[in-house]
Amino acid sequence: MINENESFIEESTKFNNLVDSNCTKSKVFNFSYQLQDKINYYLIKSFACLVILLLIGLVAMLIYSALPAMEEFGLGFAFGDDWNPVEDEFGALPFLFGTLITSFLALMLATPVSVGVALFINEVLSKKLAAVVSLFVEMIAAIPSIVFGLWGVFYLAPFVKETLTPVLKSSLGFLPFFQGASFGIGILTASLILALMIIPTITSICRIVFKTVPTLQKEAALALGSTRFEMIKIALLRPSFSGIMGAIVLGLGRALGETMAVAMVIGNSPSISASLFSPAATMASVIANEYTEADSDLHLSALCYVGFLLFIVTFTINGLARFIVWNQSKKVGG
Amino acid sequence: MNNIVLSVKDLNVWYNDFQAVKGISIDYPEKSISAIIGPSGCGKSTFLRCLNRIHEEVPGARAEGEILLKGRNILGSKIDPVQVRRSIGMVFQKPNPFPSMSILENVTLGVRLLGVRDKSKLMQVAEQCLRKAALWDEVKDKLSQLGTSLSGGQQQRLCIARALAIDPPVLLMDEPTSALDPIASLKIENLMSDLKKDYTVIVVTHNMQQAARVADYTSFFVLGELIEHGACSDIFTNPKEQKTEDYITGKFG
Ligand SMILES: Nc1ncnc2c1ncn2[C@@H]1O[C@H](COP(=O)(O)OP(=O)(O)O)[C@@H](O)[C@H]1O
Ligand SMILES: [Mg+2]
Repeated sequence: MINENESFIEESTKFNNLVDSNCTKSKVFNFSYQLQDKINYYLIKSFACLVILLLIGLVAMLIYSALPAMEEFGLGFAFGDDWNPVEDEFGALPFLFGTLITSFLALMLATPVSVGVALFINEVLSKKLAAVVSLFVEMIAAIPSIVFGLWGVFYLAPFVKETLTPVLKSSLGFLPFFQGASFGIGILTASLILALMIIPTITSICRIVFKTVPTLQKEAALALGSTRFEMIKIALLRPSFSGIMGAIVLGLGRALGETMAVAMVIGNSPSISASLFSPAATMASVIANEYTEADSDLHLSALCYVGFLLFIVTFTINGLARFIVWNQSKKVGG
Repeated sequence: MNNIVLSVKDLNVWYNDFQAVKGISIDYPEKSISAIIGPSGCGKSTFLRCLNRIHEEVPGARAEGEILLKGRNILGSKIDPVQVRRSIGMVFQKPNPFPSMSILENVTLGVRLLGVRDKSKLMQVAEQCLRKAALWDEVKDKLSQLGTSLSGGQQQRLCIARALAIDPPVLLMDEPTSALDPIASLKIENLMSDLKKDYTVIVVTHNMQQAARVADYTSFFVLGELIEHGACSDIFTNPKEQKTEDYITGKFG
């Protein structure tokens, strides 16, 4: 018995030795795994830092180039409505106005359409047709913005001038927004183009949002005797509010920064007018238009200042919208 | 013999080419509980979902035959499914209160869809239905909280209350307790027995004991066919078919 036990102990020490030697071996491996992990960690971390540094550097360069204008005009730059390169007089309010009004109008036009299209594709079309139609919608996003611009100049602008303006004037002409002459190019045309450009973005995000609603919720609404339309309102739109807001934010992001197409159809006049028929300019379009022909250093610097403002505006609006989404999703809990 | 409220005649249901329900005919007497049992995949849910035409929501699903609600064929093409669903309520397997709605909003949704806007009337309906669903005492102080903040069993009773709000004579339940713990299940079972006073209840269950406890009548399905239908006392103690006996004694299923 004792003998057996001893031999067992012997065996187990032998075994332990074996394990030990294995352990030392694997410790070498462990070390190298750890090293690998560390390398990976620092590599990834440095990439992440690089991106942040890039952002900071970009903003710093922008501020640096804008410094002369900042010193000259101060914060009043954002509220000055006079932009006159000849007199070296610069104020960015017209561009701020142009950017905000065109983006806002574009959202007003694009959101209902996008939500409707998303619902139509998801809820009405069969699977096959849905795939085809959504492909077409998403292909709109792939059209280069210069092509949108060309189309805007040669088709949309005349359409706005000859067809849309008379209709709007005769029906809503009493409003200050629809007064004055239309040359085709202007705020309305730019907004229409922008709307068209952001519809695919908003539509595809909305479709993803609607898809996350479980069939069970839709059936719950239908089983209570709701019509299809009521079901969409109750089970789809209501819980999707924060998701739709998110989609709008992404659309807005694109609209605020869109340059080429807008520059081609907005008329590029640094003026503020209540009429949507009048020409205007956006922050992005003025930079694109005047950058190459800026003669004075102050002009160039003022353009950089406008760029900095655009950055601030997009940053603020994105932050604000994210806050709304976050707040709403906290309330709804989903 | 009680009046027949719902009468299913030779119902066949297909999912595209696959026939899930084969020529089933059953009569449901007023103010009774009828259970549907059978191995999983035998077409219990499919059958039940035809009774309020919610099966139409599945692409490719197609039902033939007659389902007579008080003598009218609800499968008829002239009948609006919305109308059908206002007379035949449904409770689903998984509790599904609307996540964006409060308890009160959930319960009153059915009547609000009917156009009732009056606050006090809605409140009255809510209290009445929550009492019927044995939930009132638990939620009366937190009606404005989200429906999803309740426990699973409470959520399911909320869904029952929600279905009762439009006062449908027939109530369908598809495995209403399969997602719940035994105590919550028992509460729902007791609730069903209470509901029998006012409603005709048809309940799908995978749990034979449950069927034996709560139901007056039981149907036994296998592979889309009705093997046996009868009073619970007969089916569970003295089945006519060998298959039924095998199933309830646990020899297959
Ligand atoms: N949406 C569907 N599409 C195709 N076949 C389905 C669908 N739902 C159910 N089936 C099939 O129909 C049969 C019956 O299903 P179901 O009624 O859900 O059974 P049970 O509820 O008795 O478990 C099963 O064979 C299942 O695979
Ligand atoms: Mg089932």
